[in-house]
Amino acid sequence: MRSERTWPITVLLAAASLPLLVMYAYLILDTFTDSAPGAVFPNRFTLEHWRFLTERQGSRASIWQATLNTFIFATSTTALVLFISSTAGYALSRLAMPFRRLFLGGVLILHAFPTITLIIAIFLILQMLGLYNTLTGVILVKASLELPFGIWIMKGFYDTVPWEIEMSGIQDGAGRFQVWRELVLPMVYPGILALGIFSFLSGWSEFILPQVLAPDASVQTLSVYMASLIFDDQNFNFNLFKSVGLFYMIPVIILYLVFQKYLMNIYGGGTKG
Amino acid sequence: MTRQAWLGFGFLAPATLFVVAFFLAPVVMTGFFAFTNMSTATGITGGTYRITEGVISRLAGSEDVPAPLIEALGQQQSVVDPTGLAALAQGDFDAAFVAELEEELGGRTFASQRELEGAIRDLDNRPRRVRDIKAAAELFERSVLNVDFATQADFAEAIQAYAGPVPDTAMTALARAAYTGWSMTTDNFSRLFNSPELGTVAVNTVFYIFATLTLFNTGFALVLAITTFYLPSRQASFFRTVWLLPRISPPVLYVLLWKWLAWDTGFLNAVLEPLGVAGRNWMFDSETSAWTFVILINGFVGASMGMIILSSAIRAIPQPILYASAVDGAGRLQQIRHIILPQLRWPLLFITSYQTLSLLTSFEYILLSTDGGPGSTTEVWALAAYHTALRNYAGNLQYGYGAAMALVLVVFGIAMSFVYLRLFNFKALVGRPRIEQ
Amino acid sequence: MDIRIENFTKRFDKTTVIEDLSLTVRDGEMMALLGPSGCGKSTTLFAICGVYTFDEGRLFFGERDVTGLASQKRNVGVVFQSFALYPHLTVAQNIGFPLKVRGESRAEIDRQVRSAAEMVRVPELLDRRPGQLSGGQQQRVALARALIRRPDVLLMDEPLANLDAKLRLDMRTEIRRLQQETGITAILVTHDQVEAMSMCDRIAIMREGRILQIAAPRDMYDRPDDTFVAGFLGNPPINFVETQVVDGHCRTQRDTVRVPLPERLIGLPAGAKLTLGVRPEFVQPSHHTRFTGRITFIESQGREDLFDLELEDGTVLRSIQSVGARVGVGDAVEWGISPHDVLFFDDAGQRL
Repeated sequence: MRSERTWPITVLLAAASLPLLVMYAYLILDTFTDSAPGAVFPNRFTLEHWRFLTERQGSRASIWQATLNTFIFATSTTALVLFISSTAGYALSRLAMPFRRLFLGGVLILHAFPTITLIIAIFLILQMLGLYNTLTGVILVKASLELPFGIWIMKGFYDTVPWEIEMSGIQDGAGRFQVWRELVLPMVYPGILALGIFSFLSGWSEFILPQVLAPDASVQTLSVYMASLIFDDQNFNFNLFKSVGLFYMIPVIILYLVFQKYLMNIYGGGTKG
Repeated sequence: MTRQAWLGFGFLAPATLFVVAFFLAPVVMTGFFAFTNMSTATGITGGTYRITEGVISRLAGSEDVPAPLIEALGQQQSVVDPTGLAALAQGDFDAAFVAELEEELGGRTFASQRELEGAIRDLDNRPRRVRDIKAAAELFERSVLNVDFATQADFAEAIQAYAGPVPDTAMTALARAAYTGWSMTTDNFSRLFNSPELGTVAVNTVFYIFATLTLFNTGFALVLAITTFYLPSRQASFFRTVWLLPRISPPVLYVLLWKWLAWDTGFLNAVLEPLGVAGRNWMFDSETSAWTFVILINGFVGASMGMIILSSAIRAIPQPILYASAVDGAGRLQQIRHIILPQLRWPLLFITSYQTLSLLTSFEYILLSTDGGPGSTTEVWALAAYHTALRNYAGNLQYGYGAAMALVLVVFGIAMSFVYLRLFNFKALVGRPRIEQ
Repeated sequence: MDIRIENFTKRFDKTTVIEDLSLTVRDGEMMALLGPSGCGKSTTLFAICGVYTFDEGRLFFGERDVTGLASQKRNVGVVFQSFALYPHLTVAQNIGFPLKVRGESRAEIDRQVRSAAEMVRVPELLDRRPGQLSGGQQQRVALARALIRRPDVLLMDEPLANLDAKLRLDMRTEIRRLQQETGITAILVTHDQVEAMSMCDRIAIMREGRILQIAAPRDMYDRPDDTFVAGFLGNPPINFVETQVVDGHCRTQRDTVRVPLPERLIGLPAGAKLTLGVRPEFVQPSHHTRFTGRITFIESQGREDLFDLELEDGTVLRSIQSVGARVGVGDAVEWGISPHDVLFFDDAGQRL
């Protein structure tokens, strides 16, 4: 079946993929070359597009400040999501308690809910709470919106842990908390890792939330920084934008290459987009 | 209650707290804000009561408020009364000046503060600095024009003190007109249903979802999944990785690459100009070209989710079935038609329902690419809500109206979520916990 | 320490799965809970170890009422069907886990783990992880972990079901040896009658949430209380023949088989319906009570041969014999039944 000729398929796919191939090839190429206006191929090697690493762009904070903000934002949301989902997911998967069905139904409904529709209300709430234009506010919001999905994923991982492991732990004299902490949690490490990587990437790439909730220069994340650079009419330079973009994407590429297998499951399992 | 139930509540507490505060509250509040006229003008924390020129002109011809009262409220007035004199005596003023003012001007009324200032200047013991004269005159300002009152009671009291007794109905109408904060209203919804612009936006939205969904999120995803299945594994994984790039790239960067492709002196023009096609910015050139880019940008991202899900569904088909069909002489197309496609019915249903909701509500990529333009040709519902409430060039952000627009999406989202509940077979997911004690 | 269950009832939602069950396991005894799947044997076991609660009834370990006691405080060792070893811990950590939970010193844990590993004969595996062990080794580790706290009671839920045939034989003797060496009171849940009979002092046979009979294996095999028990024990299974009483005998409708009634049953009225239970080993060429039939099937089991005999009226009798009979499929033979060993059951299936 697979011995039939495949080159027509290859050609077809290559043609369809051409825009992507061109865009990503030039993403890398353009960061260290210059082209004459309207020319297809570059004509000069240069490193000047990377000067943004040391020079401020206009009145913006330095790229390192934005990088630090992005890092704080992504890691904090990830930490919150992991901590909260790993406890809540366990409770929903394993613990007999009143209202369990209610909680489960709630999580199931919310995990599919299009959170971005809430942005207006969230903006107003953060204004009222005085958390507007703070990293804290946008971190809390991002983590909360990601939670139902995280809890749902973690519940799925806990569901695969055999009940007998827990029963055995109890017979060995451990309480439910100890059983969770010492026996069950280590068994879902792959799940925690997958969810962690996913949350981190999701936070790292997030645009709308920081753009709306924390646009100030001092709390800007890289996405907002880059968007403001692009929308600034004063200085229109695609090579610079691409260099910033490539810089922004490096952690994504590394994480993706290392954890590809884990991520495939979660990307297929129903994420936003 | 058992100990594990306590543990369970403890384990759920942080999640509940977060979700209630920043997820459920926004859901409820969207509904609430949708019934307010909140905007940049009203502020969001509540307002004060204040008679302005604008309020006066709006009240003109009102049935509830008598015309003389309106006219009186519009007047400025300064009265040298005991209250003002007492305040003056308390203040940092020369005692002789206070005494003289009381004696010369006590009990008189002036049509404006300026007139009073003029009268003060004629006094012998007047303060030397103009600023002090103004400060003294200000203490006798007795009009309510342009004065803020924190509560309705303060406002009513001041009006009565200034203009004498006012009937209740008039007072209520006055207070409503003078209030600067937001208030509850159903106007947003009548606006929503009567706005011709929003009608266009709704049509745009349906077109956008339908086109992206059929062409890319299901259509091209299916092509990708099936073709990569038949390719040698290295080629297949190369193409899958290429098509995953849009998904893993930060949206800002991804859209930037498309902009570069479409830009006036961008790649597309560089390639096309030698062929005699005039250069232009393809993303904004015409309605057609703008929509093409919007759909391409979203479709290239959306195709990957379908690709992943459908690929794994195809790989889940037992090999013997495929071998058997090949032995039976089925060509590739027949194999696809009779064996592969029937297996993909449920995954396709899932992708369709999931992506419909997702395309309906997400506006990130359009915001970053055309931002609804040129004009508002590519404006979709979610983006219109964002523009109305959070960012527009006019600068008057209409939070309430925007929330009403978002509420439509929220309601739709909740309805779709219940559909998921059915699709996922909820009962199977809530198996009873097996440890009882 | 003896285990006493009194009037145990268990419901899941509204279905009653165990009703009014009482059972006493004597001190140092190994008791099998035997029955088909879904009979409630595992539910009973989980209720004894505390995973399930009692809806009604009481549970005593010795004189102590443990009905409301948490699992952790019951001092029960359990071996699960899947062994339930903790995959991320080494063998030593697995075995030592109960002691670690109890907060014993590292040296003490180490010493006891070593001696427990020696008892189950896996001292060389202590640094491995469960994933690197064979099924039999995992079983031994699970036993060591269950026994290390010196529990009052040892419970085993289908402990041999996940092992292949050869290992199952080894572990049968191994578990019995450990139980006898430690003198622990043990309950074994199994659906396999051979396991129950070969390993246990007594068997409680269960069906649909009730105990049908409690007896020593030999007694239960020889004198089953009813047709279910008779049918459940023995492989190849017992033959049942429908008969009626006719002047001092009971015979099939067309008189293909005729067995004299023993003295104690002489009083039965003519025409009474009886079911005869004849174990295959009591159908032999040399036995007295003769009948004729045709061989329809022969299965060689090595040391023994298994025959299916079809009588004229279609009744099939199974016979197991030492290898040597020179007959083939289709041959007509006249063989006999040993009348002393025939079991008589009444209409309701109760043994007379």
